[in-house]
Amino acid sequence: MNADAKVKLFLVDDDAVFLKLLAIEFLQHADFDVETYPTGELCIEHLSSSPDVIILDYHLDGIVSHAINGIETLDKIKAYNPDIPVIMLSSQDKIEVAVNCMHHRAFDYVVKSETAFVRLQKTITTIFRYKKMEKELSWYMERM
Amino acid sequence: MSHRGRCKFSIYDHYLNIMEQTNQASQYARSLIEASLDPLITISTEGKITDMNLATVHITGKTREALIGTDFFDYFTEPEKAREVYQEVFSKGFVADYPLTITDHKLTDVLFNGSVYKDSHGKVMGAVVVARDITEQRRFETELIEAKVLAEMAACLAEDAKNKAEAATLIAEDAVKSKQQFLSNMSHEIRTPMNAIIGFTKVMLKTDLSAKQKEYLTAIKMSGDALIVLINDILDLAKVDAGKMTFEQTRFKMAQSIAAMLHLFEAKIQEKNLKLVKEYDGNIPEVLVGDPVRLHQIIMNLVSNAVKFTAKGCITVSVRLLREDDASATIEFAVADTGIGIKTSKMEKIFENFQQASSATARLFGGTGLGLAIAKKLVEQQGGSIWVKSEVDEGSVFSFVLTFQKTADKSTLESIFTKQDTEALSIKVLVVEDMALNQLLMKTLLDDFGFERDIADNGRIAVEKLQLNSYDIILMDLHMPEMNGFEATEYIRNQLHSKIPIIALTADVTTVDLEKCRAVGMNDYIAKPVDERLLYSKIVGLVKKPQPIVAETTNEPEPTHKLRYTDLEYLIQRTKNNPGLIMEMITAYLEQTPPLINAMKQSAHAKDWDSLYATVHKMIPSFSIMGISNDFESMAKKVQEYARSQQQADSILEMVMQLENVCVAACQELEEEFNRIKNIQA
Repeated sequence: MNADAKVKLFLVDDDAVFLKLLAIEFLQHADFDVETYPTGELCIEHLSSSPDVIILDYHLDGIVSHAINGIETLDKIKAYNPDIPVIMLSSQDKIEVAVNCMHHRAFDYVVKSETAFVRLQKTITTIFRYKKMEKELSWYMERM
Repeated sequence: MSHRGRCKFSIYDHYLNIMEQTNQASQYARSLIEASLDPLITISTEGKITDMNLATVHITGKTREALIGTDFFDYFTEPEKAREVYQEVFSKGFVADYPLTITDHKLTDVLFNGSVYKDSHGKVMGAVVVARDITEQRRFETELIEAKVLAEMAACLAEDAKNKAEAATLIAEDAVKSKQQFLSNMSHEIRTPMNAIIGFTKVMLKTDLSAKQKEYLTAIKMSGDALIVLINDILDLAKVDAGKMTFEQTRFKMAQSIAAMLHLFEAKIQEKNLKLVKEYDGNIPEVLVGDPVRLHQIIMNLVSNAVKFTAKGCITVSVRLLREDDASATIEFAVADTGIGIKTSKMEKIFENFQQASSATARLFGGTGLGLAIAKKLVEQQGGSIWVKSEVDEGSVFSFVLTFQKTADKSTLESIFTKQDTEALSIKVLVVEDMALNQLLMKTLLDDFGFERDIADNGRIAVEKLQLNSYDIILMDLHMPEMNGFEATEYIRNQLHSKIPIIALTADVTTVDLEKCRAVGMNDYIAKPVDERLLYSKIVGLVKKPQPIVAETTNEPEPTHKLRYTDLEYLIQRTKNNPGLIMEMITAYLEQTPPLINAMKQSAHAKDWDSLYATVHKMIPSFSIMGISNDFESMAKKVQEYARSQQQADSILEMVMQLENVCVAACQELEEEFNRIKNIQA
């Protein structure tokens, strides 16, 4: 990962209004390279552009009945590259949903609300701290 | 010669003449004596009777011959006393008014008067005594005495009766007073716990519940409401009886008001498989001045009666304009049913307190029998009349006529009842209430409204808090320890010189308390159990009032005044007031929402619950982004919940319609907003 480059963020949500708001906030608050996708399929198509973090809606198959849902998208992302951290978003504050996301190796689970953006920011910060720690660890391991 | 002869003749003649005259005089005197009604008796100095008149013969019942020569005193019940009369006459020469009783066949009471008579030499020859029969006099006297005694007795009785009546009046007055006091106390005692029961039930109904729980809670709430209605009925009746019922004069929309009220009966009417027919005269002026609450009460009493007594058929509620002039409109309301009807003999009675057409009615149909009595009193106190026509087994028609004032001002109070921008209002409320349960309830309600609130346990603490902090409004309970609501209000007005709006919270809604509330300077009152919509509108109404409404005249007239569904506050904050970004957001919403509305409608009508669930789910986040009221977000969540449990299809459709209206209105508003920003940008 290039330290100078902007952090590349994929936002995936079929709720255009929320997606837009999220994008606006990320663009305003930090130096992100934001790409937005209304469906899981489009997100997967663009995985090759190697996003640093993906924020993924849990409920993607709401209106378009054949669309793949959030969990399926998550599985495909992990299959493509298990190291891409995925933060799941949902409007439901339900323990089953959260646990389900964790089982599918989501990094975190954030409920859509007014505080969602702040939570996401924190989570992203945490992700990068982990990444840095992992990198340092592997650097030391290599030297040992 | 002739002279001599003549002279001789003349002396003889004179003698004869004198003799004749004497004879005549004697006869004349005799006839006078005989004619007297009073017995006259002459007695010799020895006490023997020498002569008597006819009256004496009558009264003694003996012949003259039998009487003459007998002893005078033998004819009296007390001979000794009679002897005294005779002795007195001869010793004194006269006797006056001496009472004796003659021994005749009926013992006549007499009074004796008498005097002696003498010969030419002055020698006493005997005495004449007159007995006056005083039987009649005695009788009158006795009667008079009897009458007097009777009169005195009657006067005593009257006095007694008067005393008793006064005592009874006092007791009755006391009884009325204690009845009112009792009712007032009871209403307070019952309302206070009911307040908590209904209040918390309402609060609980807003939380996440399973369908079953919801059903049970709704049942609790309905029973609670019914109980409150009953208590209010009894209180109302007491108030009307005491002539203390007051009627408001507010502007209201008759058609909407009645439609909303009849709506309450729809479930019940459907449940009984009846038909409700509404006939509303289109000529009735739209806005009228009167007391809509009391009108509701009257019609509700009549309609609930109709529903109660009708097993099949229909209930017709008709509202007809009878007369109209420049100032007023007279309207006839009629509630007709096809129920059991009322016997002619019972028609007069059914309007009396606690009367039902038969005692079996109460067992069969329930109810207190107060409804019609209240309806009648409410109508009559407003100067109207109420009557019933009925045919047994055919049905009844209850009609009443009321006159309402007309008004040129078409704005009504109802608009206040709809919630305004809660977000825009930051209201700080001080709740003064001693009961922990009620404190908690008020907290919950005010939190729901999004108001800031502070609690004081009693008036003294409230006054202390007022000196330290500033509040926009006070909700004041009346009965509290230390310093009650009245004292606290007086202190705030007179000592602190504060004009802060104060709303009294009272479970005791007797007129006495309300007058007192106004007297000490409270602005308004709310009866417990608190109706949250009323509380909200009263708080907002009082807090907003002092601020002059400038916007109305300066800005474009309509948009500011209209109730807005959206509020860009959140977006402005998020985008740091970047117009471009706001426009982008609005565009996103305007693109996404219409298809969602369609999808929602279609899936609801097709009863495709999964799809409905998903659609509404997707709409929910945009509500808070665009500042649409929390109420609609909760409504959307409710739709989701019902869609998942696939219950209450009817209310789902209704809510879907409401959501649609809100979203369509929101789209319009946002489009206008978008254009406004665009114009500013340009």
